[in-house]
Amino acid sequence: MKRSIAYTMTIALILCLAPLLIAAARVGEAAPDFTATASNGKTVKLSANLGKYVVLEWHNNGCPYVGKQYNSGNMQRLQKQWTGRGVVWFTILSSAPGKQGYVTASEENDYMAKMHAMPTAALLDPTGEIGHLYDAKTSPQMVVINPQGVVIYDGAIDDKPTTDLNDVPGAINYVNLALEQSMAGKKVEIPATRPYGCSVKYAD
Amino acid sequence: MRKRDSRPGFSAALALVLAFLSCAAKADASEAPIPHGTIEIVAQNESIEPGRDFNIALHFQLDKGWHIYWANPGDSGEPPRVEWKMPKGVTAEEIEWPAPHRLGTPTIVDYGYEDAVTLIVPVRTEKNLAAQQSARIDAQVKVLICREMCIPGKAQLSLTLPIKSQTAAPNSKTAGLFAAARKSLPQHAPQGWKFSVDNTKSSFVLTGNVGRQTTRAIFFPLNESQIDNAAAQDLAPTDAGFRLTLRKSEQLLKPIARLKGVLVLSDDRAYWIDLPVNKPGAAQNNSGMNVEPQHFVKEGKKT
Repeated sequence: MKRSIAYTMTIALILCLAPLLIAAARVGEAAPDFTATASNGKTVKLSANLGKYVVLEWHNNGCPYVGKQYNSGNMQRLQKQWTGRGVVWFTILSSAPGKQGYVTASEENDYMAKMHAMPTAALLDPTGEIGHLYDAKTSPQMVVINPQGVVIYDGAIDDKPTTDLNDVPGAINYVNLALEQSMAGKKVEIPATRPYGCSVKYAD
Repeated sequence: MRKRDSRPGFSAALALVLAFLSCAAKADASEAPIPHGTIEIVAQNESIEPGRDFNIALHFQLDKGWHIYWANPGDSGEPPRVEWKMPKGVTAEEIEWPAPHRLGTPTIVDYGYEDAVTLIVPVRTEKNLAAQQSARIDAQVKVLICREMCIPGKAQLSLTLPIKSQTAAPNSKTAGLFAAARKSLPQHAPQGWKFSVDNTKSSFVLTGNVGRQTTRAIFFPLNESQIDNAAAQDLAPTDAGFRLTLRKSEQLLKPIARLKGVLVLSDDRAYWIDLPVNKPGAAQNNSGMNVEPQHFVKEGKKT
């Protein structure tokens, strides 16, 4: 009897996890929901932000492609500009413990203070659950979700896949493009690109 | 995360001084360090003969486990980039990329080279190059070196070769390196082999007729965002070859006219593939052309 309860529970667990495991984010489809702990200690639920645009930014502070965006001040500028316009911005840290880019909550808070980063929140994802849910390949991979909860952009931050700070000023920023076009009621011209950068440092 | 100096003025000045010093010290170096390795510039011949093309190469030697990238880096990373400075009448062509390897994890797959790789660069020379002078070739290389993590590297390399009117003699010291590098370059498929690509909703199906059953085939797409790099490539051996199913990339939102890339078969030989993609539902075109274009240059923007 005990065994059959365990069995039933296992099946139930598999069934309820199954959509999670297969429902990787796709442009044009509903953004998979998740709940996460932010570095400020708050619990964040993606679906609580329906009605607003949401940007997801995959982060790893040791990655030189992320360094390009932060040391040039570009990422902070984008965060400030778009959160100022009511966009919810989540920085997501999917590095596993012991891997490059893994930080504790307080280390992330120190980093954000030092870099003057201004996301709505930095979400700690050491198990890689959110990363895998969105099939995030790189940092800084970017995802834009519209107020209806649909993914409207997934890919690179811009069209210059380099670590060179000099490439920031002339780059076409795909996040800006998606947000501007969508907010203007237009079709997002470039909804998906190769998300260049460092591979996300998931657990082995 | 390495700690950064909090005095930007100071560190910028220091960087400038260091850059200047290293520049001055290595102005003529044919070999330079990069993070976790070295790059060397080598020439196939002892001299340059005006009007006669020749080869130079960049040889990367990397610490164990570190890698650099192919022309299409796959899910992450970027290929090495070279800025050439050559005398008038001497011009570098595109890098000839050896067949890459699949690197990475089950969910993130990159295309590149571990341990060591030699990138051959053909060089064109004009007939009216003045004899008895020498030609100095400078290369500024930007390269991303990765293992678990990635480190960008930069190197300034230089090579000076005499210009002589007589036939250029091969450099015996580099002959082995060039011979090995040539061997790792993808070839044109033999006459008589037939390939075709069919388009299904979620995949490209590459059919090869190579005269014998094939039990190993890996395809490397030259252009990004066409196939799902991390997806398993499903191989079905046939009597005369194989059928290889390549899952489409999530980033592929428009149909593509051609599929280009490198195909590595059982004997570890690599072949260039450049095929029209048959429309969905079209009869399988097994007499598909085996087109052999002159240049395999990546499409799209160049940075």
